[in-house]
Amino acid sequence: MTIPVPPDTLTLTAALLAVLLPLLSFGMIMLVFRHRRRLCARISIGAVSVSLLCALFLLIDHWHLNTPIRHTATWMVSGRITVSVGFLLDPISLLMLTIVAAISFLVQVYSLGYMAHDPGFSRYYGFMSLFAWAMLCLVISPNLLQLYIFWELVGLSSYLLIGFWYQKFSASTAGKKAFVMTRLGDVAFFLGLLLVLFNLGNLDILEMNAGRMPLNIPPATITLAAVLIFGGIIGKSAQFPLLTWLPDAMEGPTPVSALLHSATMVAAGVFLFGRLFPFFSQSSGAMTFFLFTGTTSMLLAATMAMVSRDIKQVWAYSTISQLGFMIMGLSAGGYAAGIFHLTTHAGFKALLFLCSGVFIHIFETNDMFAIGRAGGRRLKVPMACMAIAAAALAGLPPFSGFFSKEAIMGQLAQMANPLWLAAGLLGAFLTAYYAFRLIFVILFPRRDDTDRPPQNAHAAHAGNDGHRRAYRQMAVPLIVLATVTLVLGWGQAGLEAFLMRTAASVVHTAEAHPAAWLPYTALGLALAGILLAWVEFGRRRAAQIGFVERMPRVHRLFAERWYLDHFYRRFLERIIYGGISALCTRNDRRVIDGGLDALGRSTVAASRRLSLLHDAALQARMMLIFVVMALLSLYFLFA
Amino acid sequence: MPIAYAGFPFLSAILLSCVIGLVTILFMPAAQHRRIKMVSAVCSGITLVISIYLFLAYDKSAGGLQFAERIAWVPSLGISYFNAADGFSLPMLLLTGIVFFTAVLTMWELETRVKEFFALVFLLVAGVFGLFMAQDLFFLFVWFDVSLFPMYLLIAVWGSTRKEYAAMKLTLYLLAGSALILPGIIYLVVKSGLSTFDMLALMQPGTFTPFQQKLAFLLFFIGFGILAGVWPLHTWSPVGHVAAPTAVSMIHAGVLMKIGAFGILRVGIYLCPLGWQYWAPLMALLATVGIVYGVFVGLAQTDLKYVIGYSSVSHMGIVGLGLSTLTIDGLNGAVFQMFAHGVMTALFFSSVGYIYDRTHTKAIAELGGLSHSMPRAASFMILAALAGIGVPCLASFWAELMVFIAAFKVYPLYGTLAVCALVVSALFMLRVVQRTCYGPPRSRYAQLPDVSFKLGIPRIILATVIITFGFFPSLMYTMIQTASLPLMGGLPW
Repeated sequence: MTIPVPPDTLTLTAALLAVLLPLLSFGMIMLVFRHRRRLCARISIGAVSVSLLCALFLLIDHWHLNTPIRHTATWMVSGRITVSVGFLLDPISLLMLTIVAAISFLVQVYSLGYMAHDPGFSRYYGFMSLFAWAMLCLVISPNLLQLYIFWELVGLSSYLLIGFWYQKFSASTAGKKAFVMTRLGDVAFFLGLLLVLFNLGNLDILEMNAGRMPLNIPPATITLAAVLIFGGIIGKSAQFPLLTWLPDAMEGPTPVSALLHSATMVAAGVFLFGRLFPFFSQSSGAMTFFLFTGTTSMLLAATMAMVSRDIKQVWAYSTISQLGFMIMGLSAGGYAAGIFHLTTHAGFKALLFLCSGVFIHIFETNDMFAIGRAGGRRLKVPMACMAIAAAALAGLPPFSGFFSKEAIMGQLAQMANPLWLAAGLLGAFLTAYYAFRLIFVILFPRRDDTDRPPQNAHAAHAGNDGHRRAYRQMAVPLIVLATVTLVLGWGQAGLEAFLMRTAASVVHTAEAHPAAWLPYTALGLALAGILLAWVEFGRRRAAQIGFVERMPRVHRLFAERWYLDHFYRRFLERIIYGGISALCTRNDRRVIDGGLDALGRSTVAASRRLSLLHDAALQARMMLIFVVMALLSLYFLFA
Repeated sequence: MPIAYAGFPFLSAILLSCVIGLVTILFMPAAQHRRIKMVSAVCSGITLVISIYLFLAYDKSAGGLQFAERIAWVPSLGISYFNAADGFSLPMLLLTGIVFFTAVLTMWELETRVKEFFALVFLLVAGVFGLFMAQDLFFLFVWFDVSLFPMYLLIAVWGSTRKEYAAMKLTLYLLAGSALILPGIIYLVVKSGLSTFDMLALMQPGTFTPFQQKLAFLLFFIGFGILAGVWPLHTWSPVGHVAAPTAVSMIHAGVLMKIGAFGILRVGIYLCPLGWQYWAPLMALLATVGIVYGVFVGLAQTDLKYVIGYSSVSHMGIVGLGLSTLTIDGLNGAVFQMFAHGVMTALFFSSVGYIYDRTHTKAIAELGGLSHSMPRAASFMILAALAGIGVPCLASFWAELMVFIAAFKVYPLYGTLAVCALVVSALFMLRVVQRTCYGPPRSRYAQLPDVSFKLGIPRIILATVIITFGFFPSLMYTMIQTASLPLMGGLPW
């Protein structure tokens, strides 16, 4: 294990500023300045911009660090258990810190336009600050317990932000569903954490990763702990089988979807995988399980994305799919590849959502066909940016996604079983298909007589000054992110070297030497997907009906999310509400309460009987006494 | 155990201020509502201030019993008026002070029989305070009964929803409890041969044989356990919560149920440690059943107060589970949970009480959209619900964390089940929040006023306490440790 060094004063100040300012901003907004909308936005954006500057400073300052930097303080002591709080700065946390701060900053700026007329404007910025605080503290956690605490807190902010428009019943239901489903995973995570705590004695991440487990721990325990902790990842990163909360979470405002439910919070699961990568890779059984889960999620979500008409839902499924792909890369042993894809994905997926947000804001619909008919392509900036991001998602050079996807494919090609690579390549094909299906639908709308006449997009977007300003405010972050998507790919070598700086001793990545045909195959498949999308949705005579829709049963299966939600609803109704809960309630009313009430009643009744002794007929009692005396005397006579 | 006698009788001052409040109110004209409320607020405020002072002034490095006062009362029987506070009782005194003061402020709008109501509340709370500081078994039992009997009147006169039934049920249950505790106390005092009710003398190791300890502990466990809502003796508590007026629900769930757990700790565990060890598996089993059962029954409830009532059963199960682990962490967590749950549930009941006062319904199905018409009331309720779920950085989280750590180590199966119950607890709490606070605004609630600043004060105090101890749990744990470490260190096994 590499011995961490304490931070110097500058680093300490920067790290503390970066994580604590958003908390301060949250407190100030919620307690003091709630009624001053503009001030709230300024406080929040100010706080997160300082966080971003600090994060960038830390990243640049420690670009060449060789040993992790750790600082901890005691939060609480009980018995032999000490809960400490602090930060651990090493390449992965520095990188993640910067990603989170950067996307938070961009999304908060974007929200100035998007949320401008929302009555809950201040509350929105308060929750955004809460999220920024929790997420930043999560990524720098030096121990698993702190990570778990902030893991729960990002779950809370996710709940609050999904249900932000609480007057919509569907929104609050989606928030509840997200919280409960991720909690299901978190419970597994917590149990895994306890298992590690009792076997290792503490929860220090560096120590867990050092690979020096006490010898008496059976490998099965490590596998169990790894799988349990992975449960948290399944919940948070919406992997199979807990994946249905994420598409529902699109009920929240679009900037929230961009920040939490694509770029950062859901990526926290993958981040945790990367964080504990050396620990997880001690158990090959667990790694195979992770690989299987990632692959399943990747393919299932891709099929769902192929049939959705809702623009945000498509990107939500795509997020699940891409997170699954990252998990595939990580569990195939590609530490740097997985984290690199996490980085590029954060950029282009946030971009996709923010572009979609502009369409949704202006056309007030989520339906991609309606957006296309309403003239979505006339909005030049978001359309171009979305095309760039979709190209990155599909894995086309020279966009960032191409490089990170190739890196993961290279890792999958190392696996003994060629099936994983085949699944990855199939995923690349599907991804390109659904991404460009959406682009073509908006770009080449079909005039459909059954629908309402197209709105004048120019009137909508150039209508009044307020709208135009909102549009401009939203456009700036798009351009920034598009630029990042364009150039990030060239930083691959540098980033991967940076990631391996302190991890090299514990991460034993097999050097990936992909066969020369692999990039071409992957690219060819992506192009084939785009071509198919073009044939079905793009060209002039296309009917805009996908090949899946020609197979009603399959289409239904995909559109119904493989019936996962039906299963959960059934389970909830039959087993939880109708089964255990009803049983316990009946037991409470009838058996426990009823039994005690009956006891009370029978006590009263027995007393009544007993009281008869006092006032019943004299003869009867005399008779009774006589009989008893007679029996007793007989007994004593003959016994 | 080291004892530090007090220069100034702070503990008696708490009791005295309750008695002064009680007597003053009794001699005031019944029509002067406002003055009666002022007197109540001032006297309860004094108890809060003293309890905060004691909490801060306690010398943690010295530990042991502090602020002790002792006056021989019936020397021939060994009964003395003996009060002292240690790391277990100070959190409870603080809790009682907080809940008492906020409960009085919450009832600021009461208009029916104001004088009698506050007089009875003072009597009730005097009993609670007395119990938490008593070091003499005789006084402990007297305080226990003093705190029970006002409940009957408070529920039967000022309550709602089947109030006579609930009041009778509650009283019978609690009297059954005290009918077990009294023989237990007499049994121990007689068997010790010391002819004293002084707990310090009785808790010397070797005073009781293992069999005596097992027998007495069982009596205490069931007797006090009824009050702590131990499954399956819990059914009085949700019914009582529902029927009671707001302030009484707050005190009932916030403090009174803690008396039960505290009694198990102070009398059962301190005097009969071997009995504790012997019955711990049973305690753990019942506690786990209570945790799981409480959340599942809570899931099916349609009345807002029933929901909180069953969540209390579940949360008190966590206290029981912590006590049953026989570890420092479990004890620490259990005592912290007593405190955290008390504050959380007081906030919950005060929010629900406000909603009920305005909308005149507790039925979840009839509520909805309250975040529109009364955003502040809804926010307090949401905060309480989140604390109930165990969200980090709110007080309950730390308590549950320690209990789960201890339980998972000692009883892996029970620990796992209890942790899994967290999912259901999230489901039912969020369901309630969604059905009452969220959703489209209802026109019939549109004109209702939000929590005013004056009525907001008690809720703000409670919320502040939850958040403060959520961010600084060591404030509480360093205090509890001063009692739990010596206790666990001096055990006979």
